[in-house]
Amino acid sequence: MSDNQTQSKTAQEPSKDQVLIQVNQLDSAYGERKILKGIELSVKQGEILVIMGGSGSGKSTLLKNMLGLMQPTRGEIIIDKMNINTVDKQQMLKLRRTMGVAFQGGALLSSMSVGDNIKLPLRQHTDLDESTISIMTRLKLELMNLAGFEDLMPSELSGGMLKRAGLARAVIMDPKILFFDEPSAGLDPVTSVELDQLILELRKAMNMTIIVVTHELESAFTIADRIAVLYDGEIVKTGTVEEIKACDDERVANLINRKPREVQIDGEKYLSRLTEGAE
Amino acid sequence: MFSNIEKLGGRTISVIEELGRLGHFLLTVVTSIFSRPFGWKELVKQIAFIGARSMPIILLSGLFTGMVLALQFYDVLARFGSVDLMGSAVGLSLIQELGPVMTALMVIARVGSSTCAEIAIMRNEQQFDALTCMAISPYRYVMVPRFLAAVISIPLLTAIFNVIGIIGGYIVGVFIKDLSGVAYMQTIIDTITWSDLRMSIVKSLIFAVIVIWIAMGKGFYVHLEKGVSGAEAVGRVTTKAVVASAITMLFADYIASSFLI
Amino acid sequence: MSFECSDHLNYKVLHLTGEVDLSNSSKVRRCLLDILDHGQSVIVDFSELTYIDSSGMATLVEGLNAANKKKLTLAIANANGAPLQVLELTRLNQVFNLIASVEDIKE
Repeated sequence: MSDNQTQSKTAQEPSKDQVLIQVNQLDSAYGERKILKGIELSVKQGEILVIMGGSGSGKSTLLKNMLGLMQPTRGEIIIDKMNINTVDKQQMLKLRRTMGVAFQGGALLSSMSVGDNIKLPLRQHTDLDESTISIMTRLKLELMNLAGFEDLMPSELSGGMLKRAGLARAVIMDPKILFFDEPSAGLDPVTSVELDQLILELRKAMNMTIIVVTHELESAFTIADRIAVLYDGEIVKTGTVEEIKACDDERVANLINRKPREVQIDGEKYLSRLTEGAE
Repeated sequence: MFSNIEKLGGRTISVIEELGRLGHFLLTVVTSIFSRPFGWKELVKQIAFIGARSMPIILLSGLFTGMVLALQFYDVLARFGSVDLMGSAVGLSLIQELGPVMTALMVIARVGSSTCAEIAIMRNEQQFDALTCMAISPYRYVMVPRFLAAVISIPLLTAIFNVIGIIGGYIVGVFIKDLSGVAYMQTIIDTITWSDLRMSIVKSLIFAVIVIWIAMGKGFYVHLEKGVSGAEAVGRVTTKAVVASAITMLFADYIASSFLI
Repeated sequence: MSFECSDHLNYKVLHLTGEVDLSNSSKVRRCLLDILDHGQSVIVDFSELTYIDSSGMATLVEGLNAANKKKLTLAIANANGAPLQVLELTRLNQVFNLIASVEDIKE
């Protein structure tokens, strides 16, 4: 982590204000259960956007929608000028090659070694020489502090290592857009800080656009250019770190001050909930 | 009263839903066979797993099945004074019926259950989501090699089961019951026709599709299992897959027999 | 992306222009290994290079390894901007011989 963090973000100059991802009026539901309501979100080229919210706020559902793993009930998601819900299959496959996704638990294929997992996208999508593929894989493993773990099976790795190996696989094709689900969940503080630094370095060197979903405040404040706060399926506030910290919306403030949500109790209804069905 | 009817209705709907889902799954797997690149390496690996490594249990169960058949038939045939038909009795019942069915049951126990659990765990760990996001089709990459490996291996295993069963019958008939070995083999050659062999092959192909389809499909949709999640859901779909594929296989056996005999 | 070769003293100079990425790094690889196979040292000129991805980096690493084995030199000239940052991200700036310009090389 020694090299120049003082240097300014030069790499992202050319198309700084270009919107790369646009979410319009998005509703999403599991069967009858509505999860997301009227989500509006935009992500600019070269930006790190953090989607923050407590558990049950709908942040994983929003991520699934943005990745095209779930169909919204209403609204549209536009990535790189393509509406991902209507675009044809070939275009979508092409788009997917420019996107990398690091899943919460790594989501490595359990049937192959860590190295083979990381090589998989290259072997499937490129005709690069095997020796080039091998060096690329080791470069990424070095970057993730996983040198020497190439030949281990995923089941032999710890949670934090799996997460880093998953990140290595996500960036092996040098994607334009990186999605990262819960980078710091379940990690020790030191590893978590290292991962945050790595995200910043990736953006600086590769000019990646990065979307991070997390509930960790410190991590969010370290890496984010902008934060979108999700609460009960709605975005209650989007803004820079300072704007979020200064926000006087109760729901945002509670999240930041780690205050548990206040539950309004209606005495009669509460009693009937407790005794319903009992004799 | 009404709530029972409601429950029955709900059950029916969810069964129809599941049939639709599994039907669509099978169709997608079959059409994905023709998409490129083809996973040769994975296919070989799966043939080794489904085919080669099932050999010991197929050899053992085939041998014992043939031996039991010979004992049973000796008893029955002796009452009619026609023990010299032993060879054709053992051979026919193995080739037409017991070979395909017993092989399929053995494969369900060994391969169906583990394939279902493996795929369910892959689903739970978001491995299919990861593949989709890497622009790699889970159907092409994970399902097709397993499907083809089953369709190639199970008929071969059935053939091996038939042969080893006939040898088992020979051992009991010739060495224990003192029948003529030449006569045993001769009646088999005389009575078994091409259409008997065809029946064996057709049945084993149908069973192969049923076994691997249900195992993979049940595992693939583990996240839609109602009321359970995680390891419990994996256990539940695996049990369901084993039961469902055994029953479907036996039902298909009846249908196939009524057309082919 | 395009590239051309010229001579500087007894070095081959490989000028890379534009973007080196997954689609064309194998061409660069063949050219680079070809030069080294002929027993010549190489200077890779980055001055016109706007972007290099990790497949390009891996290609250069492979080239450097081949050069070292043959006791030849592989140097990178004029690295700046995005390519330099990629070198720094992967810590390869500590591995390659980085020179300010092709003319810095004298006998």
